[in-house]
Amino acid sequence: MTGFLRRRAVTSLLPLIAVLLGVFFLARLTGDPANLYLPVSATPEQRQNFIEANGLDDSIWVQMWDYLGGVLTLDFGDSLRTGESAAAMALRAFPATLQLAFSTMLIAVVGAVVIGSWAAYRPNSVADRISSFLSMTAASVPDFWFAIVGVWIFAVSLGWLPTSGVTGGMASWVLPVATLVIRPLGVLTQVVRGAMVSALSAPYVRLARSKGAGDLRVVTHHALRNAAAPALTVAGDLMVGLINGAVVVETIFGWPGIGKLMIDSILGRDFAVLQACVLLTAVSIFVLNILIDIGYALLDARVREKVSA
Amino acid sequence: MLSPPIRRSRGLPKVAGLLGLALVASGCTVANSEYVTGGGADGLRIVLPQEPPTLEACQSSLTATGVVVRSNITEPLLERDPDSGELEPLLATEWEQTSPETWTFKLREGVTFTDGTPFDAEAAAFTIDRAVNSDLACEVEGYVFGDTDLEVEAVDETTLTVTSPEPDPILPLRLSFVEMVSTKTSTTEKVREPIGTGPYRVADWQAGQRLSLESNPGYWGEVPAYKNVNYVWRAEGSVRAAMVANGEADIATSLAPEDGAGELAVAYANNETTALRMQADQPPLDDIRIRQAVNYVIDRKLLAETLFEKLAQPAGELIPDGIVGYEPDEQIWPYDAARAKQLVDEARADGVPVDTEIRLIGRNAQFPRITETIEVIQGELAKAGLNVKIEMMDTNAQLEYQIRPFPKDTGPYLLMIMHGNQAGDAAFTLDQYMLAEGYQSSWGTAEFDQKIRAAEALVGQERQDAMAALWQYEQEEITQYAYIAHMSAIMAKSPNVSYRPNSASGDEMRLAEMSPVS
Repeated sequence: MTGFLRRRAVTSLLPLIAVLLGVFFLARLTGDPANLYLPVSATPEQRQNFIEANGLDDSIWVQMWDYLGGVLTLDFGDSLRTGESAAAMALRAFPATLQLAFSTMLIAVVGAVVIGSWAAYRPNSVADRISSFLSMTAASVPDFWFAIVGVWIFAVSLGWLPTSGVTGGMASWVLPVATLVIRPLGVLTQVVRGAMVSALSAPYVRLARSKGAGDLRVVTHHALRNAAAPALTVAGDLMVGLINGAVVVETIFGWPGIGKLMIDSILGRDFAVLQACVLLTAVSIFVLNILIDIGYALLDARVREKVSA
Repeated sequence: MLSPPIRRSRGLPKVAGLLGLALVASGCTVANSEYVTGGGADGLRIVLPQEPPTLEACQSSLTATGVVVRSNITEPLLERDPDSGELEPLLATEWEQTSPETWTFKLREGVTFTDGTPFDAEAAAFTIDRAVNSDLACEVEGYVFGDTDLEVEAVDETTLTVTSPEPDPILPLRLSFVEMVSTKTSTTEKVREPIGTGPYRVADWQAGQRLSLESNPGYWGEVPAYKNVNYVWRAEGSVRAAMVANGEADIATSLAPEDGAGELAVAYANNETTALRMQADQPPLDDIRIRQAVNYVIDRKLLAETLFEKLAQPAGELIPDGIVGYEPDEQIWPYDAARAKQLVDEARADGVPVDTEIRLIGRNAQFPRITETIEVIQGELAKAGLNVKIEMMDTNAQLEYQIRPFPKDTGPYLLMIMHGNQAGDAAFTLDQYMLAEGYQSSWGTAEFDQKIRAAEALVGQERQDAMAALWQYEQEEITQYAYIAHMSAIMAKSPNVSYRPNSASGDEMRLAEMSPVS
């Protein structure tokens, strides 16, 4: 396993560097931030001072080496907007995104397993129709629409929930999580359903039934275990999307996560903060992918053998 | 070789259970939100579209900063009454022009900053020097004073003289933009939070989350009705409106008609005017017939009644009513698509490259329905025979085209702008948007510059008349702009709050004018 992890780390390093360089160059293609931070009457000297003070006068290669050197020492520089350490801002925002992402995935996975298994076990049943409805909805309705409609129905019309913000305790979580969960729940339900349909018709399930195993035991102990691997892969991809910043949901609901911070940084041409956020999410996604691989190995003996080899 | 059996199926439920437990154990508290809880729940709650980038007083001509800072945390020597246009005393009680270049101000006694330092002529001189004469590159310097440096002198504790290089009849008005700060404020760098004399001071500002103000216990004036004020920000207008509808906020600003504020919506005229600026040094826009054609194809009345839902008025100049220099009989271009096409055809016949692609640049979300407005204009321009391509940009990208130095080799472009004259005098608009080398002007003529300078040197009714006449001249002789509409703003206001917004509310929302409905 250690060898596997080492190999995985090495192979992930290249994409990580590509992401770091990509965000560095792409951010600088969006233009000089001087107009945002200086008055219209700024003299050439004042513009030059601003550029020099923020290291924007060096060649792009010098800036890149400075940036990479900073990454190695975990010094990403300071925010142009707030003057705060960029790393501190990113680290402060990230846990809120993780909370949102894990809560969403927890609900999505549990919901998908229950609905997907039921739908596979009883085709054309209520669960099967719910499963189809969820997948259609997930594919066709954008996040922001759900969010706005949710606000107007549950906050304004019914008065059950706060519109936004994070100070309302449990109630604050409902709309952001409900908005976010639609897509992963819909996708995962379909994956679980498909995998379970295959698993339930497999010889080992028939064997289990012939040995007298009950319906629940067949589903949970035999079919579901074998259907879990493809669901885990898809769940991993969906989780990556959530960790990368649930930008729309965080922006609409004022959730203090990294997605909102990234958007603010892009609009404010706050390169240091943007780079810190991207690196943090890239590393997290790298770690998550390793965890998914480990989970895959735990679920599938064939993979485990390859890993051990 | 067989792998050892692993008890897999029990691991995942455990992880899920642990995650669930962790969430419950945290009391469903959101990370990075500890600052948001508590404080001022019984106070006034305002939701803004964006967080102020800074509260630095010398940046307060930035709308997002000024709406919080001006006359709340800091105060100027004088303030302009948005209804009458007259200057009212604030930290200065009297002022007079004591020579063509010099104005003398008598300062209010017994005023202290929230850090305990006294407000006196030294502090006033320090502030003006810092904002106008320093290398800090303050927004207020650019917006109000341009390249002009001022000579400031504290004659005695309560007497201040300010001298400009040239006679400046509106120097007091310009100084109404300089918010006074404590002499302990850094002169080498901008600060995030100012120390002022206003009715409120910063209690707690957690970047990205919330800004709380509390009333200044040592305030020299009348104690404001609300002891605490909390600002939060939500980018989505419908969420801001919903917050007021749901009782989570008392005031929500910058709403669009479709945001659904319903009966809580309060529409009010602001100082903003929309227009297309034409980059007239680039063919085919260098031909006045093409610029006239652009003016003819804009159906201002239709836009005002439909897309702007009757909350805007067709415009024939870049300033609205209430600003010195406004022409009440503004000449609004009629919608005449046939005439526009005729002008384009004439230009084509004369060899003007009318088929050159013209970029129509807009800023995302600059005003409600900007995208639709631009699409309508593009459609009309295409009918007139022009080749126009829409480019929507974010603020930074659009500013590169709006503010000098302009990017090179851009080709011809039409730039959608929205200008708000916060100062109440057309000079602030003319200097930036009309002078040939104005910071936000693409071109002009020496003759027009001369007329502008001459008008700006006048006072009283002569000043008003001379400035008002410039708009017609600009349309006929320069035609750098196609003015579109004088805009309005919408806010949502809780029935529990008494407040009447005015034309300055978008830039300077005075908290002391708000009170609970008893």
